[in-house]
Amino acid sequence: MSQTGKSNAADLSVEVHPSVQALHDWFGVAIIRDEIVAGDEHVVYVDASRITEVLGWLKEVPEHLYDYLSDITAVDYGGGRPIQVVYQLFSISHRRSLRVKAELPLSALEIDSAVPLWASANWLEREVYDMFGISFKGHPDLRRILMPENYAEGYPLRKDFPLRGRFTRAEQTQRALSQEPEDYYIPADFECGRKPQLVQWQETGGEPEPDGDPSDH
Amino acid sequence: MSEKLRSSTGITGGLFGSETPTFLTTKVDFVVNWARRNSLWPMPFGTACCAIEMMASAASNQDLARFGMERMAFSPRQADVLICAGRVPYKLAPVLRRIWDQMPQPKWCVSMGACASSGGVFDVYSMVQGIDTIIPVDVYVPGCPPRPEGLIYGLMMIQEKIRGESLARHAEHRFEDPDQAGHPQADEKEVRALSGPFGNSTRQDRTSGLITEVGCRPSDQVIP
Repeated sequence: MSQTGKSNAADLSVEVHPSVQALHDWFGVAIIRDEIVAGDEHVVYVDASRITEVLGWLKEVPEHLYDYLSDITAVDYGGGRPIQVVYQLFSISHRRSLRVKAELPLSALEIDSAVPLWASANWLEREVYDMFGISFKGHPDLRRILMPENYAEGYPLRKDFPLRGRFTRAEQTQRALSQEPEDYYIPADFECGRKPQLVQWQETGGEPEPDGDPSDH
Repeated sequence: MSEKLRSSTGITGGLFGSETPTFLTTKVDFVVNWARRNSLWPMPFGTACCAIEMMASAASNQDLARFGMERMAFSPRQADVLICAGRVPYKLAPVLRRIWDQMPQPKWCVSMGACASSGGVFDVYSMVQGIDTIIPVDVYVPGCPPRPEGLIYGLMMIQEKIRGESLARHAEHRFEDPDQAGHPQADEKEVRALSGPFGNSTRQDRTSGLITEVGCRPSDQVIP
């Protein structure tokens, strides 16, 4: 860092991330390691079984307050190595970002869903499920989002997935045409004025929703 | 072929059914074709950057309306020519097929750009390798993307094609097997034949991937 000619204060702000230190102090062994990539991006590796605990703490504690979930994605490095689930967090009030990673062995691609924390995790986790086959426990609606519902060739972004898919082009064409475009949606998606599914988890803690008849909507 | 068509369409001889042109049929052909080719309403099926060029060709500088494409018909039921501009993934294939099925006869199709015509650079798991495996195509416009002049030239080629059509051979021009609606226009053999000598992936078979079993991993070396 000193080669770049920056002042010491600037170096400190890059190398010390308050949330990383606080995570080590609070969670101990659940924080496996941390590193800095791309100059100033702090990455924390978390025990996958405690991921919601850590993410919830990061979101709720006022000193950290990572209230904005930028992205959820995953990385497959191939060669039998574990698949990493990546949570890119941002704190709007503190102007800080943090990358949280959880490593999942290929034999157990399962992790707790972040939808109860951030509603925006819904589609992001569906995409990760679609592309990597990681199942998110507690997700309200875990199904494919980009690939067709009847897609049977596996998970395209895995390293062992052949570039052109596993079926012949003729087979792929016939499979694609054998489906109805309406198959991509669940019947409730077509209902007007439907109460969104995601609201349910928020309302369980608050006041009970009165059971009005559907014509109220 | 024509015997089968005649029996399936019910047109047997008569004024327009005879394949030898008469004074009457050629004059009717002339009028009908003149009307058809000068009022082609395009159904824009723009999915990518080609659609920008398609919009440019409809805008004031190029002005597609000069040639009778008076307006873009965003309902397939009021369109004459489908312009497929851009790449089509497999998930969109049934949508494209349904839009084509919804268009009333007579109808034509322009495949605009490299991706719609052949898959282009997107020789991957998710992309249709040429929309002619989904719907019949009259004119392919090459380019990535084609300039508006290219698209207009392609549409003028459609107009030329219409000029040569005859009501006497109507069934032949317009024949569609109802059983084939919603199915690939090309069968598996034809899809294989479409693969060129440059290694288009339509020739790919099941063994060309790294592995064949879904869910198992390659035995490559673990890099420490």
